[in-house]
Amino acid sequence: MPENSEKFLEVKNVSKSYVGVQALDKVSLSIHKGEIDCLVGENGSGKSTLIKIIAGVVQPDEGEIIINGKSFKKLHAIDSIREGIQVIYQDLSLFPNMTIAENISLNQMVERKRKIISWHEINDIAEKEISRINKELNLEEKVENISIANKQLVAICRALTQDAKLIIMDEPTTAIAKKEIDFLFSVITDLKKRGISTLFVSHKLSEVLKISEKVTVIRDGKLVGVYNTKDLNHDKLSFYMSGRKITNSAFNYQKEKLEPKKPLLEVKDLSKKGNFQDISFKVYSGEIIGITGILGSGRTELALALFGLNKPDSGNIYIDGKLANIKYPKDAIDLGLSYLPEDRLNQGLFIKKSIGNNIVVTVLKSLLSRFNLINNNNKYKSAKEWTEELNVLAPSLDTSAQSLSGGNQQRIVIAKWLATNPKIFILDGPTVGIDVASKSNIHHIIRNLANRGMGVIIISDEIQEILNNCNRLIVIKEGRMVKEMDTNEVSEDKLLEILSRKIV
Amino acid sequence: MKKDIKNFKIQRLLKQHELYLFVVIVMYSLFITYLNPNFMSLENLFDLGKSSAVMGIMAIGVFVVLLSGGIDISFTAVAISGQYIAANFLIASGIDNIMLAFLISCSVGVVLGAINGFLISKFNIPTLIATLGTSSVFHGALLTIVGTKAINSAQLPDCFKAFGSFDVFTLTKPNGVYYGLSIFVIVFIIIAILTWLILKYTMLGRGIYAIGGDINSAIRSAFNIPKIQFFIYCYVGFLAGIAGVIHISLIRYGNPTYIVGDELSVIAAVVLGGTRITGGTGTIIGTIMGVAMITILNNSLILVGLSSYWHDLFVGLIIIISVSITSYQNKMSVGNIIFRR
Ligand SMILES: Nc1ncnc2c1ncn2[C@@H]1O[C@H](COP(=O)(O)OP(=O)(O)OP(=O)(O)O)[C@@H](O)[C@H]1O
Ligand SMILES: [Mg+2]
Repeated sequence: MPENSEKFLEVKNVSKSYVGVQALDKVSLSIHKGEIDCLVGENGSGKSTLIKIIAGVVQPDEGEIIINGKSFKKLHAIDSIREGIQVIYQDLSLFPNMTIAENISLNQMVERKRKIISWHEINDIAEKEISRINKELNLEEKVENISIANKQLVAICRALTQDAKLIIMDEPTTAIAKKEIDFLFSVITDLKKRGISTLFVSHKLSEVLKISEKVTVIRDGKLVGVYNTKDLNHDKLSFYMSGRKITNSAFNYQKEKLEPKKPLLEVKDLSKKGNFQDISFKVYSGEIIGITGILGSGRTELALALFGLNKPDSGNIYIDGKLANIKYPKDAIDLGLSYLPEDRLNQGLFIKKSIGNNIVVTVLKSLLSRFNLINNNNKYKSAKEWTEELNVLAPSLDTSAQSLSGGNQQRIVIAKWLATNPKIFILDGPTVGIDVASKSNIHHIIRNLANRGMGVIIISDEIQEILNNCNRLIVIKEGRMVKEMDTNEVSEDKLLEILSRKIV
Repeated sequence: MKKDIKNFKIQRLLKQHELYLFVVIVMYSLFITYLNPNFMSLENLFDLGKSSAVMGIMAIGVFVVLLSGGIDISFTAVAISGQYIAANFLIASGIDNIMLAFLISCSVGVVLGAINGFLISKFNIPTLIATLGTSSVFHGALLTIVGTKAINSAQLPDCFKAFGSFDVFTLTKPNGVYYGLSIFVIVFIIIAILTWLILKYTMLGRGIYAIGGDINSAIRSAFNIPKIQFFIYCYVGFLAGIAGVIHISLIRYGNPTYIVGDELSVIAAVVLGGTRITGGTGTIIGTIMGVAMITILNNSLILVGLSSYWHDLFVGLIIIISVSITSYQNKMSVGNIIFRR
């Protein structure tokens, strides 16, 4: 810890409560100039709340915030920005109706108190920033039409364009690819050289250990401690976060017990121009199949095709040996398929509706009473069951999904699809943004489902996740299957090598 | 890369609601011209422009509100208040000056708009509820405090009549009859351009798009939300004030119960023009086309000899058809609605 350098930010004994939850309880945090800090804690432990307080968009109940030696009794968003604090929010906070260029540049115009807009300037700023990350993005495209990964990049670029002294990143890497994460880390290191500090929030502990110098851990809204990264390792860190030990074991496919004869799902020569080509695979009852491949390899497009949201050009899908005609998600659901989407906040939640309603929305039919009205008791029972199984941290089933922490929102989406009790469950990035303890919890649930006979497909970048939880895996590259193998035949290094190898 | 950008531009154009609306307008106009060749005459087009100005000016105000994610249904009450107070003041004082009429009407508009803006920005009242309430209050106050008497053509100060028949230029038909382009059209065009400039080139305008796109993001980007909202509702009031004076100059008759009740067809015109009712998206050109479509419908039904009762039916059908086309377009591009939002 650079004890000798000056403190840029100091948060002292900050508390914040919402109806029914104490989100933060006397938490303190300090960041020195040019320091790279991490903030970690389980889902709902108060990380995002603390960040919003530093950004001046949420007012704390008590406590003090000192920026650059100036103490703020009431910090407004504009004060925080003017003092040089830039935040990449967990929900990104972009403007869906505006172009990429404007999203990147507009905040800067606000900060500089511009009255008149120069579109030249907007494009120049955006172009410069985008070219730095070596990424081809169409600056004129509206943000509502781009993928979640690109949205994340836009939010990162936006924060970097401004002359920040401290950049706070609330889980900026959940959707972006390795290449871009590497870029982000090189930027953070560069910033450090220029005396700019970074506060980084992530559930990917390997990232935390790689980039940070100092880690602040919070649990249930309380400070656990501040540690030097060099004294930490993965296990220690996850222990501090959750207060318990987490063990991982490999998934064991119970082929003998389930004795499947026919595949539950068979995909034959499925192709869609520009998305994927000649994809064929089978999923048997009780299996967990991993699909991996770098971002943009066509894996999500493939999943969408199975779920009736992306019409393939040719090829067939068989379910239980019968040719399936899946035109709409409804057909897929009727045939026993469920799909947990990648971009959960936009695609998976009715953000203003209550948690309970969000969970039961997929199974409303089964809740109908004799008079075709929804039976509230059944509704609560079903919703309660799932929130308990997934350890959702929420004051009650009636609070709106909006007020949950990012990770708990994720769980609601998982619960909602589990409630449909599918035969085949496709999970696209099942644990992005979920803390280590709950991650193993969710993996446990998925394995149980498989052991009960469900066929599961996990789409993920996380090699560990695939290797630990799947019995078979498929590697997709540029839309084609390049490899299919049993997970016990392959090591982590081997898989990494396959993934990074150029296809010939 | 160059080619990509060009392709992208074409693709985007094809996705645009305005293009389809334009095609519908052109086809419909050709059809009506086939039934009655008078429709496409310059004289009729000038006439259309003149009679659409009132709706057009109010529509631009509504467009700005919708863009910000709000809605205003009190603007008709504001327009009639401005008009009636201005006309009565001119009659009572004996000052016969159209500029004064505009000044009074617009001031009334801005003050009433400011009340809306205050309620909405200060107390966070949902815009629909706030303006629904103030709409009744404004109109009720006008009728009880200012009066209910109609102003007939004889009482109406001459300046209104002169303004109403003022053409910026005139042409002569072969049979010797004059016709010209009304000043109303020019006022409408200036307002459209001014609004476009504000929206496209000022921080205030971008702020309107920003809060319509995502109000939380706008708060986090430190836009001054109350100030922007206050401006929006004052601006709608201001435009309503102008529309009020033009309205009385057009029909040469003032009645404090006029205009009120037209708010839904104005909102319909704006939505028809492609502005999303949920905020954030829409264009001035689209709005003008929406107004044009509805005015043309009105006018053409009379030209081909159908009763005006058909009007509502047609407007409804056109809205449903044109909005369906755009939604269908959106749906066609990979899972757009559900998966990209
Ligand atoms: N606006 C709100 N209204 C009510 N409760 C809220 C609100 N915002 C946050 N909370 C609650 O405060 C607690 C802390 O939430 P916060 O978003 O800070 O968690 P987090 O540490 O960022 O978690 P995650 O890793 O899941 O993002 C949660 O219990 C959450 O439900
Ligand atoms: Mg969070």
